[in-house]
Amino acid sequence: MQTDPSLNVAKLECVSKSYGGLRVLEDFSFELEPGCVTALLGPNGAGKSTVAGLLTGRLSADVGQISLFGLDPRDRRARARMGIMLQSAGLPETLTVMELIDLHASHYARRMATERVIEQAGLVDLADRRCSKLSGGEQRRVQFALAISGAPDLLVLDEPTTGFDSEARRAMWQLVRAKAEAGTAVLLATHHMDEADALADRIVVIANGGIVEDGPPSQIKSQVAGSVLRLRTRLPAARFRNLPDIVKVEERGADLAILTSSPRLTLESIFQIDPDLQHFEVVGASLEDAIENLIMSQSKKEAA
Amino acid sequence: MSDLLPAAPRIYWLESKAEIIKSARMPQFIIPTIALPPAFYALFALALGQGSEAAATQTLATFGVFAVMGPALFGFGVNIAAERETGQLELKRLSPMPAGAQITAKIAATTVYCAVSLVMLYSLGIVAGVALDAAQWTAMILVHFLSIIPFSLIGIGIGYRFGQGAAVALANIVFLSLAVMGGLWFPIMAMPQVMQSAAWVLPSYHLGEIALMAAGQRNDGFLLLHVGPLLLITLATAIFAWTGERQQSR
Repeated sequence: MQTDPSLNVAKLECVSKSYGGLRVLEDFSFELEPGCVTALLGPNGAGKSTVAGLLTGRLSADVGQISLFGLDPRDRRARARMGIMLQSAGLPETLTVMELIDLHASHYARRMATERVIEQAGLVDLADRRCSKLSGGEQRRVQFALAISGAPDLLVLDEPTTGFDSEARRAMWQLVRAKAEAGTAVLLATHHMDEADALADRIVVIANGGIVEDGPPSQIKSQVAGSVLRLRTRLPAARFRNLPDIVKVEERGADLAILTSSPRLTLESIFQIDPDLQHFEVVGASLEDAIENLIMSQSKKEAA
Repeated sequence: MSDLLPAAPRIYWLESKAEIIKSARMPQFIIPTIALPPAFYALFALALGQGSEAAATQTLATFGVFAVMGPALFGFGVNIAAERETGQLELKRLSPMPAGAQITAKIAATTVYCAVSLVMLYSLGIVAGVALDAAQWTAMILVHFLSIIPFSLIGIGIGYRFGQGAAVALANIVFLSLAVMGGLWFPIMAMPQVMQSAAWVLPSYHLGEIALMAAGQRNDGFLLLHVGPLLLITLATAIFAWTGERQQSR
């Protein structure tokens, strides 16, 4: 059966999901499009993995509609168009890389040739090695190879570069970009803001069961007028936590780093509690800071 | 089936083949589970045996049950626990693979490994002087292969409930208890009365007795006395396996 091209790759409509009375997603709607890398960002427990679990059919929604290529995510025809890279790194120890990829690809009628998968995932030198003899990074590459082996229209990647050195990360990013440019939709769940920044066409920030922000990385960054104040003070960090507009106070070496949504007000109040303050600087927020700021202001809105 | 899903029989075959290869490359699986029962038999029946045909036949009948316990308990229990813990099972479940392929592959691999162990055992039995007629051989071999079912169900139940480390320990305890207390190594008549009574809840005891009857070694035996309890125990192991699997795949 051929799917209507106007149908989305994946769609969540007004989905709610609770675990044991705790609501993880509330009236959540979200779509994925072909050729677009969408990064899901948010604090732990915000619902990132729940969204991924719902899309891959691992979890079912309490309320709402989920469709994958116009079908139920549990439908094998929908699953046949999806490649998944889970966060856990287990592989059958005694199979070789080639045997494993060949086996996994056999589940898909539109599969890629094993040699091509091996080439694209940069595993040519490791093809005959047993999985137990691979390093952590090499195992991740094998998992990526498994994910692409069925020539999927949707790739779901959960923390694909955890434990990678910077060179290996960039290589992985290139592989993912190449897939997206060839038209594959990519859903990326990550903790690494730089990864989202480098790889994503679109960032969706989730907090408290809903979408806080949805847009290209540049938009997310510009959304936030937040700044980081670095200062050297004798006062304990706890003294600063209750000042107005503060998102986060962190000890960085001998300094305190204070993320704030309004540096002027915060500085004024800092001088009130620490008039002797000598050393301080104000820097622009990184994407990571920006997202924390977004999540914080969202929580405050909800509390109000 | 569709332009997205390949023919299922081929997947069943490839998964089964991979399952067999996976274990074949694990000496820690092959040696204790496949090679140990024939080695023990050689020791008991050939080296230490009194050289009587009856002793060799009786030991062969109960050791056949012992031989399938290892592949079934460890092949299912420990492998499922390991694959579950490392997320391999999850990845397979989310792939478009037919739902039954995974379990079919494990059943196929277990059956092949049991067959290898049993063939070695039967060969040693013939060397030791076991002489059964065709009907007795057939009946005994059938009992040995049917023994795979309850032990596999126990293995599945363990694999879905426990982590890898705990599963290995538990499978070992179950393996040895079922063998010794079920009278597979030596008759339970040699044990205290309380243990003889306890043997009635063990599938290994009933399977051993049925195998002895099949081999014509229990002329005073009453088959239904063992088949009845065995069916009840097998039902219990099926529930143990099924609830374990349910618990995981919520």
